Amino acid sequence: MTALVRARDVRRDYPLEREAVHALRGVSLEIEKGEYLAIVGPSGCGKSSLLNLLGAIDAPTSGTVEIEGRNVGSLGDREVTEFRLRHIGFVFQRFYLLPILTARENVELPMAEAGVSAADRRKRSTELLRYVDLGERVKHRPAQLSGGEQQRVAIARALANRPSLLLADEPTGELDAKTGEEIIALFGRLNADGTTVVVVTHDESLARAARRVVHMRDGQIVRDEVTDG
Amino acid sequence: MVALLLALQLRTITIDQRLAADAHLRVGDTVMVSATPGGGGDSVIIAAIVGRRADPSEIARSEYRAHLHLDQLQHLIGYGDRVDRFAISTHGDSSADTAVRAINNAAFGFRAYRSRDIAVETSETFAVVSRFHRAIGVITIVASAVFLLCILLLKVDERRRDVAALRLLGISRRSVMLSVVLEAAFVSVIGSGVGVVIGWVTSLAVNWHYQARYQTPLRFALVTGDIVLFAVSLSLVLGIVAGALAARRLVRTHPLVLLGR
Amino acid sequence: MRLFLAFASLRRHRARTILAVLGVAIAAAMLLDMVMLSTGMRESFRELLLSRGFQMRLTPRGTLPFDTEASIADASRITDSLRARPEIDLVSPVLGASAHVLRGDSSITTFALGVDPASQGDYQLIEGHDASDASSIVANDDFLRATNAKIGDTLRIASGYDPQLRSHSGERALVVAGRARFLYLASKQLAIAVPLRTLQQMTGAARNDRVSLFMVRLRDVNKIAEVKNWMRTALPTIDVISTADAMARVDERLSYFRQLSAILGAVSLIVGFLLVTTLVTVSVNERVGEIVVMRAIGVSRAHVVQQIVLEGTAMSVAGAVLGTGLGLVTARYLDAILSRFPGLPAAIDFFLFQPRAAWTAIGLLTACGVLAGLYPAWRAASLPLASTLREEAVA
Repeated sequence: MTALVRARDVRRDYPLEREAVHALRGVSLEIEKGEYLAIVGPSGCGKSSLLNLLGAIDAPTSGTVEIEGRNVGSLGDREVTEFRLRHIGFVFQRFYLLPILTARENVELPMAEAGVSAADRRKRSTELLRYVDLGERVKHRPAQLSGGEQQRVAIARALANRPSLLLADEPTGELDAKTGEEIIALFGRLNADGTTVVVVTHDESLARAARRVVHMRDGQIVRDEVTDG
Repeated sequence: MVALLLALQLRTITIDQRLAADAHLRVGDTVMVSATPGGGGDSVIIAAIVGRRADPSEIARSEYRAHLHLDQLQHLIGYGDRVDRFAISTHGDSSADTAVRAINNAAFGFRAYRSRDIAVETSETFAVVSRFHRAIGVITIVASAVFLLCILLLKVDERRRDVAALRLLGISRRSVMLSVVLEAAFVSVIGSGVGVVIGWVTSLAVNWHYQARYQTPLRFALVTGDIVLFAVSLSLVLGIVAGALAARRLVRTHPLVLLGR
Repeated sequence: MRLFLAFASLRRHRARTILAVLGVAIAAAMLLDMVMLSTGMRESFRELLLSRGFQMRLTPRGTLPFDTEASIADASRITDSLRARPEIDLVSPVLGASAHVLRGDSSITTFALGVDPASQGDYQLIEGHDASDASSIVANDDFLRATNAKIGDTLRIASGYDPQLRSHSGERALVVAGRARFLYLASKQLAIAVPLRTLQQMTGAARNDRVSLFMVRLRDVNKIAEVKNWMRTALPTIDVISTADAMARVDERLSYFRQLSAILGAVSLIVGFLLVTTLVTVSVNERVGEIVVMRAIGVSRAHVVQQIVLEGTAMSVAGAVLGTGLGLVTARYLDAILSRFPGLPAAIDFFLFQPRAAWTAIGLLTACGVLAGLYPAWRAASLPLASTLREEAVA
């Protein structure tokens, strides 16, 4: 299979006053289409930094990150933004829904940016919200939704433009155990339906649900294992 | 010798600065004054050049001024033994009132007035300008009040999470309001102090500009103690009211709503 | 979607949006008033001067019309020589004097204009007949109110008053033939128009064949310079004041208001700009997380900037439109104050509404609104995504 994501000897340094912080120290990773990958490790091991690079939210200090054959680290701001819009879905720990928009409008936002017509946006947002079991809450604002419901809306938003890659940074971090289980099940369903999913997590249940687990420590991958999932 | 003889026979006049500058005249020059343009008149010597008085009614007036001996002017313009008015100086204020009464009782064909009463009646120009300034001032104060309320609302709103946390900890509404109002009052006093300094500097610039423009010693802008007191007091009141209104909105909202729950 | 998001953001904090719009409206009103003030006086005065088509005024040397008691001798000869010029269409000689309406032991003082009714340009007849008869007058409403007179009444009017003898001279019985609106008078000034010859005779031998000024109308306005040059040579004791000259002199006298309007207009713009900038900056700072997430999910920097700039622009446009109405109201109020400026015709408007002025004010404030939102928007849209998301998560 052709790798969907290919990271080669990626380094990410953050300059501080006296010395730089080396968040990633030469990480190489390949992710195939349709994989369900979890990145785990202690706090400060660089897993979120790696996810940001894979999501083209950040650029490596050195090394390359290729997604669908394109070196995203070398793209200009306009191009990489456009790339994120159409090829990558990102789910954040704190949901980051726009509080002034309803659930439906939050899901439609990336589609509006991509130039999708209003009718098509409505159709797709309805479909996605039903997929995440929120068909009855389309007109609710984030303040009227529980944490789990907000996260599901965030997942629906991430899927709006049919991305080839779904990235999630601690998606169950702000949720209770039961709600977290629901989100984990949703990710499983997404992957079963063909979406490539990469999650960064401390949550063991979420890590166990993935079929491949990459362990990181001190900015490097220390173990990369296939699991039963 | 001839010039000296002539000078001894000629009478003297004074002219104002503008005329001297525009006509390139100096003290000692001999000029002709007449009642009609190009008509016959008297040769006179310029004895002095005088500056303009700080008289509001002379602002923007472009005519030239010359002072002649009374009898010479009367003769020149064929006025006979007539004058337009007398100016009288008395020993003190109360003497002036007595003099006005006595003159008016005996007057035949003229009236006496106190100078300040004439000034009030003839300063219509400045009455109009003052009213205009006052109207602009009122509009500015209303605008400032709106701006102040808007800015304070923003500042207080920015801190709604802090306020929510304080309220959840048990700090009373009154305490929260008081702290916001005190802060607003403090900012108002500091701001008005800065404003007074800016106003004072601006008044210097205004006076410098217009005194040069109209060639007058008149002061156009004056920052007095009363004005400073008024400005600071008004700022303080507006600041306190604006702060109270902004804080009131916040403390009346439930803390959990402020936190977005 | 951007427009929707912009308006949704404004609706989110209604109170501050309303206050900001109100603040911008007051700034807009002030700006409009100052734009109107800077052009109003000139245009209004120019319109007044040209209202009857007279492009030139001839006054005694070194004076302005009715500024002094100086007068021009040999009026008939001068009138004939002016009328003989082919470039000149109409000549109106005018004599100004004080007159006293006698009522028993008292009198009411009025301003009297001696005119040739066939060529006059000082008043517009509203009711009745013109003063074509030697013993008739035309009066304004203030005069009729003060004297309690009406058309058809005969009044005893004198031209001179000796305060020492307390007696009047040059007395005539004159009939009120008509009611008129005098164009160049100050507010509430009593005025009558009398046939020129009658007023000359009333004011005595010293003033026979004397006038205070001539008003001249040319057939071709392009000949003003040529005619002016001829007049300066042929009539050396007279000053020739064209409309442009008159406007320059009024400009000089009222230059204070033009400067004031420029300063206050600039201050209004700055204040409006600062208000919108502050509001947009605070609003953006509150929403950094949302903005960064929008960028993370693929909304371009330009679109984020557009949305934020739209918020500032919407407030400015709303404020500017509201302020235009407010400005017209305050302009009337301020005009009423300034119309009492002594020595100026009451017909002059200090604040003249021209649509161009309104568009200028709205345009300037809209531009300010756009600029005010630009910097905070660009800053927010350019924040580094990863580190900002991390800071927001920690916060």
